Amino acid sequence: MASAPTSKYNSHSLENESIKRGTFFILIDKEVIYICPFNGPIKGRVYITNYRLYLRSLETDSALILDVPLGVISRIEKMGGATSRGENSYGLDITCKDLRNLRFALKQEGHSRRDMFEILTRYAFPLAHSLPIFAFLNEEKFNVDGWTVYNPVEEYRRQGLPNHHWRITFINKCYKLCDTYPALLVVPYRASDEDLRRVATFRSRNRIPVLSWIHPENKTVIVRCSQPLVGMSGKRNKEDERYLDVIRETNRQVNKLTIYDARPNVNAVANKATGGGYESDDVYHNAELFFLDIHNIHVMRESLKKVKDIVYPNVEESHWLSSLESTHWLEHIKLVLTGAIQVADRVSSGKSSVVVHCSDGWDRTAQLTSLAMLMLDSFYRSIEGFEILVQKEWISFGHKFASRIGHGDKNHADADRSPIFLQFIDCVWQMSKQFPTAFEFNERFLITILDHLYSCRFGTFLYNCESAREKQKVTERTVSLWSLINSNKDKFKNPFYTKEINRVLYPVASMRHLELWVNYYIRWNPRIKQQQPNPVEQRYIELLALRDEYIKRLDELQLANSAKLSDPSASPSSPSQMMPHVQTHF
Amino acid sequence: AALGTLYLTATHVIFVETAPDTRKETWVCLFSMSSCHIMFVSLMKYEELYCFSFNPKLDREEREQGWMLVNLSEEYKRMGLPNDYWQLSDVNREYRVCDSYPTELYVPKSATAHIIVGSSKFRSRRRFPALSYYCKDNHASICRSSQPLSGFSARCLEDEQMLQAIRKANPGSDFLYVVDTRPKLNAMANRAAGKGYENEDNYSNIKFQFIGIENIHVMRNSLQKMLEVCELKSPSMSDFLWGLENSGWLRHIKAIMDAGIFIAKAVSEEGASVLVHCSDGWDRTAQVCSVASLLLEPHYRTLKGFMVLIEKDWISFGHKFTHRYGNLDGDPREISPVIDQFLECVWQLMEQFPCAFEFNERFLIHIQHHIYSCQFGNFLCNSQKERQELKIQERTYSLWAHLWKNRVDYLNPLFRADHSQTRGVLHLPTAPCNFMYKFWNGMYNRFEKGLQPRQSVTDYLVAVKEETQQLEEELEALEERLEKIQKVQLNRTKVRSKQSEPSKHSGFSTSDNTNTPQDYSGNVKSFPSRSPSQGDEDSALILTQDNLKSSDPDLSANSDQESGVEDLSCRSPSGGECVPSEDSGKDRDSDEAVFLTA
Repeated sequence: MASAPTSKYNSHSLENESIKRGTFFILIDKEVIYICPFNGPIKGRVYITNYRLYLRSLETDSALILDVPLGVISRIEKMGGATSRGENSYGLDITCKDLRNLRFALKQEGHSRRDMFEILTRYAFPLAHSLPIFAFLNEEKFNVDGWTVYNPVEEYRRQGLPNHHWRITFINKCYKLCDTYPALLVVPYRASDEDLRRVATFRSRNRIPVLSWIHPENKTVIVRCSQPLVGMSGKRNKEDERYLDVIRETNRQVNKLTIYDARPNVNAVANKATGGGYESDDVYHNAELFFLDIHNIHVMRESLKKVKDIVYPNVEESHWLSSLESTHWLEHIKLVLTGAIQVADRVSSGKSSVVVHCSDGWDRTAQLTSLAMLMLDSFYRSIEGFEILVQKEWISFGHKFASRIGHGDKNHADADRSPIFLQFIDCVWQMSKQFPTAFEFNERFLITILDHLYSCRFGTFLYNCESAREKQKVTERTVSLWSLINSNKDKFKNPFYTKEINRVLYPVASMRHLELWVNYYIRWNPRIKQQQPNPVEQRYIELLALRDEYIKRLDELQLANSAKLSDPSASPSSPSQMMPHVQTHF
Repeated sequence: AALGTLYLTATHVIFVETAPDTRKETWVCLFSMSSCHIMFVSLMKYEELYCFSFNPKLDREEREQGWMLVNLSEEYKRMGLPNDYWQLSDVNREYRVCDSYPTELYVPKSATAHIIVGSSKFRSRRRFPALSYYCKDNHASICRSSQPLSGFSARCLEDEQMLQAIRKANPGSDFLYVVDTRPKLNAMANRAAGKGYENEDNYSNIKFQFIGIENIHVMRNSLQKMLEVCELKSPSMSDFLWGLENSGWLRHIKAIMDAGIFIAKAVSEEGASVLVHCSDGWDRTAQVCSVASLLLEPHYRTLKGFMVLIEKDWISFGHKFTHRYGNLDGDPREISPVIDQFLECVWQLMEQFPCAFEFNERFLIHIQHHIYSCQFGNFLCNSQKERQELKIQERTYSLWAHLWKNRVDYLNPLFRADHSQTRGVLHLPTAPCNFMYKFWNGMYNRFEKGLQPRQSVTDYLVAVKEETQQLEEELEALEERLEKIQKVQLNRTKVRSKQSEPSKHSGFSTSDNTNTPQDYSGNVKSFPSRSPSQGDEDSALILTQDNLKSSDPDLSANSDQESGVEDLSCRSPSGGECVPSEDSGKDRDSDEAVFLTA
């Protein structure tokens, strides 16, 4: 079945993706009818490799091309049966993770649907078929190695750690203390390894409070963890109480530690029934606790589902705004941003150090700490800085990418799936809208990250935690997404970027300033002509180039001009008047 | 305490101190339409309006020139009129036929005065069909009128002839669109009052179309509701989105846009002429005609063109500014944000076509502001006739001149005359896409101050654009100067070849080794060529002196140099619109330098 791509065009575009030959092979190459929700049925030729589904229109009046990495597929269904009548009623219906559906009509005879269904199922859900995820087969080569972008020791050193109050510990080297945390942790200097072990017993999944970020001047910190295991009986743990107090004491001028519980109050209370809970004032005397009312993964999943309902395939028309409201998506974005702003404000004003947790400390907590760090630390607003931020707060601290995205898994209805990371990227986009000069990267950068969140072409977002990644030797056996991005940075650069050190960004999380990210959520709709490149950016780049060219030519003319003046015939009486003129331009 | 006069407008209370040297103005905004009704009961006469006392210290001539800036006769000429199909009609001289129309009107050549007058009698307020926009390329036109007095069955031969005349004035199409911008229900209700719409059976070769834009009362309430949402202190997601949706404002904006798009398509794609009307033909008709013209005609997307467009479709065709914006104490039910909606349509278009407009958001906001402010005379009165009777042009100043004077503030740095978006027709999807229509923060939230100033990408663009322009000017000046030097040199060379002896200069140091141009340029390259420091300047100077003395009689080397320069000057600056230099000091400098050289 394997054969080289037949059409020149096709092979060209596959090569464009710079996937080396030999790492992919064509599994299916046949004519189908793509039922385009916008333009009706289109006859096309579909190629399925072990990485992607690629369809090119065979109709002259349509230049349609579909290019769908199999990792994006969340569900494949057969539609119509042997008895179904009507045109194009027999075929496949594919649901994608990136807010679109694909529908293909096939001929009933010759098992063509069965073949396509089976191939797609095998390669879209390799885990169910004991096949490797594509990232492990991908032999792409880039001239930079994205895996070297994040080095925890270097990153902590950049933050000025270790210092008198904070130490780097390797207690979790073999992931014995906490299997979902990274090997390297920053903890208070005065907390012994024994203390850490005791605290771990009192925190959900042993996710003890550890440092995420320290303010370079006032030395207040952002600490992350999971909920305390208080339970119905209101259990206490002396070490945990002492430990939080030690964190408070690392900063002597403040007498309170602020704890942000990302959950709504009721959820936190309800968690007591399953052994969780929150830090109560009576027990933690020197701490104040605030709830940030961010809902859980299930609420977010349903919210995004509603967003999809109103934007795909057709955009809800008659009541667009109230439909948008009914998804609550922007409201969730607002709550996440508001929470992050509060964290950032506490820390930057030096009011107090902040502890952030939710239930397990890998979803909402990651959103809050990473967004707050993005507001506080301009380093994270550069391309590499952002990569480090994602690598650190999300990947190394065990945001469960495998479960939340469901890489290679056929269980599309898994309750563990949730668009938490997408929500984070959406928040970043909202910030970049409000501060168009503060970020080195552009919208395309964010969309590229989201595309490869699902694609399984890179190892970056595979697995739930560092220990699993280490076991699978991900860094040795797969390519990093940052290799792709960093080897072609210009594409992802925001021309308006102006580096500002030490500027704290406070986005306005008011409804009037948040908007739906149309270029992402409605991008499949042909009416959203993504003006690529963005005309504003384009114009700016052109003007910059023009400016540089003028400067260059002025220099050249300057030379020629001076050369002219060297001519003996030029009036000797005036050079002193002429030359300063020429020079004062600059 | 200061003595002064208090002026009241629909949105502002203006306090002007009478102290002659200061005339300090204090503007207090009443950005809520309901609250001002109570406020300005005392204003009964036009004479009390601010514009009659506003004095920007311009002399009479300047004022008159200001009013001349926008000239509609010129505009019709620009459209290519009069021509074989259209002529200027004097039927409305002294406002004999229709007192809310201008005197200068274009009608089909085949429409006789008899037909026009007959048709006018069959039209509400005698607003007969007249030309609004003419498309040179395909002869299609947009005409406007009020509703016909058709009732349930009435007919009028002249009116039917009038429509035929319009259709025939466009040889490229065998039918005429008649667009009634009202919802069908409203139009039908009007029939009971002896008005109504054209019956397709009575008019041959017309295609009749309803486009449901709501009336001024619905729009007034809609704005009121939206402003209530804007005034919420910290709206929740639901408050805001539900409020915005329930206000219906964006839906109305979209309805106007859809009508404009429909007409623009009819004209540009089908090559058909369109007659537009609503009830009286001065609100929705003005909106729709101007939106369609804006989509069709790049000229209206320029600063000047936009002023012309408003002058033509709104001011001259009798949009009732005094009534709609409540400049005087009038019927509050006449107040409605009709032109606000048009300005918002333009803003929505700017959002979708960022490179297509020469002007920016600020321009729109300032126009809107002055429609309410009554500081200038443009938006006074309900018709041309009233304005003439009040001698507005002699007693007030023109906003257009004021805006034009400050045009630098209103330029869109993204605008490019050569851009594909800027040329020709703007193509928008006709299919509904509500999500493209956004809440206009800049207009309705402009008094809300954020925690810190928002960063504006446009500011960056403007800065770089200015820098580029400056460089371009410098470059031109330098090129020009080089050319002159070159000419001088050629002359000298001729002289010299006659003398066959290089001129000697005394008083300079004699040590030299930079005899050939090649050496020289190699030498200069080692200099940091863009250093502003004094030291470099000096050394450059010394170097020049060295070279001045180091006379080089080798003519061939000279000609090499010249050709090099010519190459450079051939590459003339491309693609830049050059605004007249603000920085002419430098140019003068270089001229002087050239003189000195010569």
